[in-house]
Amino acid sequence: MSTQTPRIRLENISKNFGKVQANADINLEIHSGQILALLGENGAGKSTLMSILAGQLQPDSGTIYLDGDPVAFTGTDRAIKSGIGMVYQHFKLVEAMTVAENVFLGIPDTLFIRKKAMNREVRELVEQYGMSVDPDAVVHDLSMGEKQQVEILKLLYRNSSILIFDEPTAVLTPTEAERLFATMQQMIGLGKAVVFISHKLEEVLAVADYIAILKRGRVVDSMPRSAVSGAAELARRMVGRTVLLEVDKEPVELRQTVLKVAQLNGMGLEDVSFELQQGEVLGLVGVAGNGQRALVETICGLRIPEQGAVRILGQDWRKFYSRNNWEQSLSYIPEDRLGLATCRGLDLVDNFLLTTRGGFCRGPWIQRQQAKFKVESLIEKFDIRPPDAHALAWQLSGGNLQKMVLAREFYRRPHLIVAEQPTQGLDIAAAEDVWRLLMHAREQAGVLLVTGDLGEALALSDRIGVMFAGKILGIVDAGDAEQVAKIPEMMAGMSVDI
Amino acid sequence: MQRYRVVKRQERLGWRSCFVFLVAIGLSLLLSALLLALRGTSPLEGILVLFKGGFGTRWALEDCLLKAIPLFLCSLGVSIAFRLQIWNIGAEGQFALGAVGATWMALSFPDLPAFILLPLMIAMACAAGGAWGFIPALLRQKLGTNEIIVTLMMNYIAIQLLDYLVYGVWKDPTSFGFPMTQTFSDQAILGRMGTSSIHWGIVHCLVLGILFWIFFTFTRTGFELKACGDSVRASRYAGIPYDRLVILVMVLSGALAGWAGFLEASATINRLQPSIMVGYGYTAIVVAWLARLNPLQIGITSFLLAGLRVGVENMQLDLQVPAAYGNIMEGLILLTVLAGGFFIHYRIVMVKSA
Repeated sequence: MSTQTPRIRLENISKNFGKVQANADINLEIHSGQILALLGENGAGKSTLMSILAGQLQPDSGTIYLDGDPVAFTGTDRAIKSGIGMVYQHFKLVEAMTVAENVFLGIPDTLFIRKKAMNREVRELVEQYGMSVDPDAVVHDLSMGEKQQVEILKLLYRNSSILIFDEPTAVLTPTEAERLFATMQQMIGLGKAVVFISHKLEEVLAVADYIAILKRGRVVDSMPRSAVSGAAELARRMVGRTVLLEVDKEPVELRQTVLKVAQLNGMGLEDVSFELQQGEVLGLVGVAGNGQRALVETICGLRIPEQGAVRILGQDWRKFYSRNNWEQSLSYIPEDRLGLATCRGLDLVDNFLLTTRGGFCRGPWIQRQQAKFKVESLIEKFDIRPPDAHALAWQLSGGNLQKMVLAREFYRRPHLIVAEQPTQGLDIAAAEDVWRLLMHAREQAGVLLVTGDLGEALALSDRIGVMFAGKILGIVDAGDAEQVAKIPEMMAGMSVDI
Repeated sequence: MQRYRVVKRQERLGWRSCFVFLVAIGLSLLLSALLLALRGTSPLEGILVLFKGGFGTRWALEDCLLKAIPLFLCSLGVSIAFRLQIWNIGAEGQFALGAVGATWMALSFPDLPAFILLPLMIAMACAAGGAWGFIPALLRQKLGTNEIIVTLMMNYIAIQLLDYLVYGVWKDPTSFGFPMTQTFSDQAILGRMGTSSIHWGIVHCLVLGILFWIFFTFTRTGFELKACGDSVRASRYAGIPYDRLVILVMVLSGALAGWAGFLEASATINRLQPSIMVGYGYTAIVVAWLARLNPLQIGITSFLLAGLRVGVENMQLDLQVPAAYGNIMEGLILLTVLAGGFFIHYRIVMVKSA
């Protein structure tokens, strides 16, 4: 990197949440006149790192240097004073006010509002940075791209010199994204520093001057843009090939087909077809946002398939979901453990009954006492902490809650398991437990493992499908090294012969 | 420099949370006393008259209980819906419809024996109240309307309907033009217990309160309601038929308010007349929140708020305090107790900042 003093330098920043290392020994430099791209999957620690920079979180250890001097961002106001500005994914705007009013909101100025001067000052900024938004327009009427421009204007008006964009293109159309990149270039031309958080490889390559890759809380790789030849190389560096754990993958005899998806279309999906048999793990890898959510929700009954057929355990989708089959059926282990898989305000017994209540009913009565005995034995068997059947779901750590969800779902002895990012946010020990449980479940069930972590998919899967832009680009045999080597390129959306 | 920061409590307050409650009540009494002082009434005397009038004599206590009965049932009703986070504020209208339904039976079959007529009246009251809850639920389901607005608007329709009946077709020809029906036949009147003025409706409350508790604690549907109330997403994930449960709670909610309407018409007034509507359905919402939707606490709170009503009536007579004062006190209690709820989950700590 260049020899000048960086605007911001992070030295050995670490942050733990309980046993989970969200950030571990992070070293990074942010320079004026440069765009730094932070690449990483969901849960890789990007948001934590940015929250530390924005003063919302305090690091457990490590130092932040501003222009070479150590600083402590003990509150958001301090970070803002130092010139750090965040553009969040979710806009924080007053919809009923005009653009200019939003920009001036919260700035202690004179008692009276000077409407004309406000509009003029905002218009000057808009022109200076090549934006298009009208200062007099009401935010309510703006497109997502224009709203984002208002957020940026707010920061520019406050003279922020370090602008951090958290996945800014997620809500933009391609043209709007182009315009945003142009604005970013203007900013660095004026000597500001830009941090661009994304998981879209192409965009990162298009705008970044320097790229850092975050994975499981660590900066696993960093390089100037010029050192990367293209998306394929970046993908390879990003997904890595380090298998964290060798799981015993004894081949299991394949039995009946438990899931058959044929020509599923709509909801952002394009001609998705595959089959899954009892006894195998089919990994579906891909960068988040390429149609996995729609596919999983359709299979798991949360969305009605628009076009195409889904057959589960030999039954048509509609027929399968018209009856309540709690046992020897389908188990869905969602990514959102606290919001979807459990009720946060209920205790473990009630959460256990959520999907197993079919087995604890006699007539209209629910047998909570029996369920409680069962939960207590599961707590012991799966080593769930705290070992208290009356603990509430939100009081459990992510790993323990995930074990609770798995314990519950395996109790149903499913024949089909859909596991979505099952180890996200878990520490290594908990992740290993989850992997072992899934491998074990494979003997009874077909497992559809949807993950963004290629290492995880490789460790567990028998076959791996790659999703990109709503399509399955191909399904490769996990044992075939030559084909597996092509997966990173496929994840980046390149067509590869297999 | 010292600053204050809000911190979430790690451990639950448990029984100590009643201190928060007491402080809140005390604060609302203080504010109420201040209001009295503003209009020149001695605050101490005012509060004293209030308590004496509400709980001081046997007559007052009996009156409290009588007023607590419809309050309890309406409140039980709305709390079923509130537990599912469905905001039924239509207990007033459902209560009115219940009274109308019961009256219909009482006027149509005055000569049936009591053991048939009374259950018939109850059934009709529940059906009418339940139907008044079913309509907003259906509209919510099919058209995505907001149940708060629809239930509120339907209150006015119900009251107008009641007025129409007692001013028109059901008007007693011997009432000298007063808007009221004939007095019910003896078989249509729920009797009083012994020599007291308390009618048997209190036993209905007891039984229904226990059934409410059993329903939510021991039945499968009760469990499903509990899960939906905590997280709609998670209950959809678990295959719980949320939409059907919304209809169910609205019907049950309306049926309980309707039952209260039956008791009021049959046991308290012995006929239908517009003065049956004294706002129990709205006070029931206050009761439900103060009691945190718990049936036992609903019982206690109903009694206390009924006491407030009786006490304020007493203040009206003795000290010429306007009737609206009771509503103000009700509102103050609700606000302070709900605001106090904040301290059950959070505490404020002083932080020294450098």
